[in-house]
Amino acid sequence: MLLAGGQGSRLYVLTGDMAKPAVPFGGTFRIIDFPLSNCTNSGIDTVGVLTQYRPLELNSYIGNGQPWELDRLDGGVHILPPYQSATGASWFKGTANAIYQNIGFVDLYDPEYVVILSGDHIYKMDYSEMLRRHKETDAACTISVMEVPWSEASRFGIMSVDDAGMVTEFAEKPKEPKSNLASMGIYVFTWAKLKAYLTADEQNPVSDNDFGKNIIPNMLKGGERLAAYEFEGYWKDVGTLDSLWDANMDMLSPGSGLNLLDKKWPIYARTPSCPPAFVGKFADVGNSVVTKGCRVSGEVKNSVLSYNVTVGRGAHVAYSVLMPGAVVEDGASVEYAIIGEGAVVGKGARVGGVPEKAENPDEWGVAVLGPHTVVADGETVAPKAMLDKTHQAHQEARA
Amino acid sequence: MKGMHGIIFSYEKRSGLRELIEHRVHGSVPFAGNYRMVDFMLSNMVNAGVTDVGVIMHGKCQSMLDHLGSGKSWDLSRNHGGLTLLPAFAYAERRETAGQFRGKVEALACMLEYLREIRQDYVVLSDSDLIINIPLGDVLQAHIDSGADLTAVCTAAPGESHDTYFTLAPDGRITDTVYDVYAPQGYRFLNLFIVSKELLVEMVSDCAAHNQYSFRYNILQERGRTMKFYGYVWDGYAARIDTLQNYYDRSMELLDPAAREALFDPSRPILAKENDDASSYVDPSGRCVNSLIADGCDIQGNVENCILFRGVRVEKGADVRNCILFKGTVVHSDAVVHHVITDKYVTIQPGCTLIGSGNYPLAIARGSVV
Repeated sequence: MLLAGGQGSRLYVLTGDMAKPAVPFGGTFRIIDFPLSNCTNSGIDTVGVLTQYRPLELNSYIGNGQPWELDRLDGGVHILPPYQSATGASWFKGTANAIYQNIGFVDLYDPEYVVILSGDHIYKMDYSEMLRRHKETDAACTISVMEVPWSEASRFGIMSVDDAGMVTEFAEKPKEPKSNLASMGIYVFTWAKLKAYLTADEQNPVSDNDFGKNIIPNMLKGGERLAAYEFEGYWKDVGTLDSLWDANMDMLSPGSGLNLLDKKWPIYARTPSCPPAFVGKFADVGNSVVTKGCRVSGEVKNSVLSYNVTVGRGAHVAYSVLMPGAVVEDGASVEYAIIGEGAVVGKGARVGGVPEKAENPDEWGVAVLGPHTVVADGETVAPKAMLDKTHQAHQEARA
Repeated sequence: MKGMHGIIFSYEKRSGLRELIEHRVHGSVPFAGNYRMVDFMLSNMVNAGVTDVGVIMHGKCQSMLDHLGSGKSWDLSRNHGGLTLLPAFAYAERRETAGQFRGKVEALACMLEYLREIRQDYVVLSDSDLIINIPLGDVLQAHIDSGADLTAVCTAAPGESHDTYFTLAPDGRITDTVYDVYAPQGYRFLNLFIVSKELLVEMVSDCAAHNQYSFRYNILQERGRTMKFYGYVWDGYAARIDTLQNYYDRSMELLDPAAREALFDPSRPILAKENDDASSYVDPSGRCVNSLIADGCDIQGNVENCILFRGVRVEKGADVRNCILFKGTVVHSDAVVHHVITDKYVTIQPGCTLIGSGNYPLAIARGSVV
């Protein structure tokens, strides 16, 4: 069960018209390709995708699930929006409530175990290994955890474990963390147990109906066996503009652990058919990814170019993420920026800037153009500025 | 039923494609970075609303069978109609001789049962090695408007002497058809034509009954004297690939933006089969200019005036110029490779030097280690 209903409000203009999991990532992909492909590669053939916020783009993207080989006669991928029933209708109140409302769907397939996933993480993970640990430990719930630096531990849900790796304590964003094992928000449950706890949680009117805040602590209190499954490898929550930019940049650094050219654990995507990328006579491309349909005539350094991106002559792109169909016209400059789908940077315009040149480092940040935003010729978009297609500058403070 | 049915000829034939067709028929020769040649005609048909396509194959068709699969990449995996594979062995008992088809009409005669079952009023027939992006709906409209018995697509661009040439009257009617001429003149036939289903079945049955097998002799020349055959002149991009040299030349032509834009008109997309590679990566030590790069490539060396298919790796210090490298080619460090076409999964060892020439490109067969 893949939780894909979140608005992703900290991606601001990028999620104005679409849910966070539908946001493009890394040239060819969208964020949701990672958990979906992990499912396929782990041998999971039935996936429910819980949607709520602006699901149109996500629904049409997932379609019949064919790119992920989830178009099955029995099972396959199912989009699960909130629905109306005889007793009324309600939105998904929390992550746990979203699953509660779809108990009927899960029961349809009568599984022994259920994997709960988030739609906003970039990682490659074999869920069957996690399930193996779940069975071995005879746990009611297995939580995927990874070591984080102690200094950052207070930002996560932190697990304390015993010698056998069984969870003894769980603290959501503790001020004084007792461990540095952070929950990745990926759970394997024994379905019968989860169903019981979801149902009980639903009876509690003050509950947030959330896995991290309610279900996991309740299971611990109830004396259930909770196992930790330690994950080693690349994992990143791309819930903020900065982390989304970081994760894209990780594709360009061999030491990051994010290698998408590795065919052993492929990530699948639905992309249009386009001719190969064309890199022109006067182009200068270095430490960057380019994708089919791109036309590059200018300079591109340390950047991620999605499909059908155009970079004009004399244009300069550095440390930036250009989403599908973005256009950087002749002589324009784009530095430390995320350019949304189909956005246009006019001739000679400037978007973003390098941190070294910023007068006040606190006011520097990655500049962001929402999908289909047009920056007129010669216009300037300051570092850390955000623009959407209506050209209303977004002034909200960015974390 | 209104509309068009598609038939693609993809059987073995004499050709100068040398190493590139050691393991495959023409139509499944890779082209332009992430396509096979047959993708162009399949896409033309699908873009014109064709829902049923038959592919006549014979000989080394394993790679073509693999490529076409159920046809879902071209939206031709249908409950009714869709893609039909027509391998010759299913009809072998109808034929007197083994081996290659003697001509197009013989190939069609072997599929006569299939032709009779066609649901559409018109049939568009084409070779699988024609690289073109043509609105076939317009050709059909011209065919209907002119009241022609058969409409053949042709071009004013010159070709080889063994090609077929038409003389056209001012209204477009074909007044003469010639081939194997000393000096080509007139309009060159692109081996793409439209005819009504009814007439197609009639002509093919009649030819079969008289042991006639050649499309250009028995139909275009002989029947063209009495029937109304029209030419449809196409002035856009069209390439028929039948020698290694013209494979190389017509591929390299695509480095020119104008040729590319004509062929890859976004309103009529050319649909490829594989779409799930990650983006290509150009390393800080890599350099890449004037080249077409498909997805999944890893470029650490110098790449100039090249076409790289999917998943090609060019290691540090390697110098690759004026080359066409098929899927999975690996050029190891410090190798020098100029004017070379490598088939799939070729490995060029470290420090190796391979230099062809613009008018005689080297071709390296599939899977070779050099």
